Amino acid sequence: MTLTQILIFAGLGLLAGRLYRWLDRAWLLFAASVLAAFWLQPASFVRNLPYLLPLASLGLAALVWALTLPRRWNRQDAWAAGGLTALVLLVSASRFVEPLSALSPARPPGLELAAGGLALLAAAAVLAYRLGRGQAAWLNSGVLLLIGLLVALKSPPLAQATSAWLRGLGGQDPALASTLDLGWLGFSYIAFRLIHVLRDRLAGRLGEVGLRDFITYIVFFPALTAGPIERVERFVPQLQPGFVLDSAGLLAAGRRLLSGLVMKFVLADGLAFFALNPVNAWQVSQPLWMWLLLSAYALRIFFDFAGYTSIAIGLGQLFGVTLPENFTQPYRKPNLTQFWNSWHITLAQWFRAYFFNPFTRWLRGRGAPVWLVVLLGQLSTMGLIGLWHGITWNFLAWGLWHGLGLFAHNQWAQFAKARPLPLEPRLASGLGWLATLVFVALGWVWFALPQPADAAHVFGVLAGVGR
Amino acid sequence: MKAEIISKLNTYITSEILKRPDKTLSATEALISGGLIDSFSLVDLSLFVEQAWSVRLDDTELNAETFDTLEQLAGLIEARAS
Repeated sequence: MTLTQILIFAGLGLLAGRLYRWLDRAWLLFAASVLAAFWLQPASFVRNLPYLLPLASLGLAALVWALTLPRRWNRQDAWAAGGLTALVLLVSASRFVEPLSALSPARPPGLELAAGGLALLAAAAVLAYRLGRGQAAWLNSGVLLLIGLLVALKSPPLAQATSAWLRGLGGQDPALASTLDLGWLGFSYIAFRLIHVLRDRLAGRLGEVGLRDFITYIVFFPALTAGPIERVERFVPQLQPGFVLDSAGLLAAGRRLLSGLVMKFVLADGLAFFALNPVNAWQVSQPLWMWLLLSAYALRIFFDFAGYTSIAIGLGQLFGVTLPENFTQPYRKPNLTQFWNSWHITLAQWFRAYFFNPFTRWLRGRGAPVWLVVLLGQLSTMGLIGLWHGITWNFLAWGLWHGLGLFAHNQWAQFAKARPLPLEPRLASGLGWLATLVFVALGWVWFALPQPADAAHVFGVLAGVGR
Repeated sequence: MKAEIISKLNTYITSEILKRPDKTLSATEALISGGLIDSFSLVDLSLFVEQAWSVRLDDTELNAETFDTLEQLAGLIEARAS
């Protein structure tokens, strides 16, 4: 989200507060979220993609809703389907109406392509509704489809091939394909929300959610760009009528929004000038300067991400939706386990719920030794969290670095339980904090530098042995 | 019933997870958000609950939001066991 877009959303929040007496908030958020999915989508050199990607997000959401619905569709669902169709066609029609053209970053395709795409998605949703009925095979197929899409987008060679294929379809030169073509706004978050719903339906834990609220949940505009990954049973009840934006609520939302804006646009963007990157990594040969670059990177990535989350939470509050916290002072924690309880919390919780816990339970059920269960559980979970950021060696290395760190902390904690250290608790806690901070900062070297040679050089200089 | 569950949970957590059988946990002490129980021990705790009371804690429920204290966990077990 750009600063202008954030300010427009904030303005809408203030205006909407005065309209709820006449306008249902849930419908307003539904319409705003659908339109924002197109509006926030970045431009792409591939023809029609800035229109088709948000359409695919909405289509996948409708498909998963139809697949997981535990009841028959009702009148409100029909209204929502009609509203969704009208909004998608409105964005397409904006190519003819000058004031509406800002709804999409590039000129949308003609109505025939939009209508064709909608017909295809409607047919798929009806089929999913008729055949799905909560059957495990269909729900698992949905999970596999979403994982397949994530892999295709996040793996550079596959993203390149997909871009070439899409360019070919649109009559463009496939030779110009680039991995940067496929900037599918918020798909990492959308896919994880959808997988959560499919898995909860499989476990028989999913409650009843109408199409309108489900679409809003998946593409809720404050959380579309950078999360958090909310759970559906926490989000949907907040759309019930009765919300009034009073002065206390306005103040709280304003504070949150302002702190997010300062973190993102002042601190993070300011630190970006001298934060570690593949270029300045080679311009520094003194350990102290390299540590400064690395510290700037560590702070920048925190302020950038936590700032975005704060903006999302502040905007959500303006519309009566409390989104979960994603960062709770992670750099002040005395150990790595607590760091991961306070860094990108909703992502870590997602992986715990849908991967770590079932995997660990399965290993424990087979009588594997405790240390091995912890090692395998932490390495695989953190490796996957790394790959979620991008399927490249450096993100995998970052994840495994933290997996090993968590395993080491677990073993140390077990050891220290039996033999408490003869140290003042505050001193022990301070030493733990320092060790955690250095370990996390060193981990950012993997994250910041895609090339192994760059990372090796930086580690060398940090240790005072490289040039 | 609830007091009995709390006492049994307390014994298990202090002796098996914290390795401090002499310690007594308060029923309202934050176990997960307070850093006493890590994610691995949480899975072990859920296996213990399943074994002791035949109550299944779902993988998505092993977090501080569902239960963070002995009081809350005992309430969950009591509600499901009945």
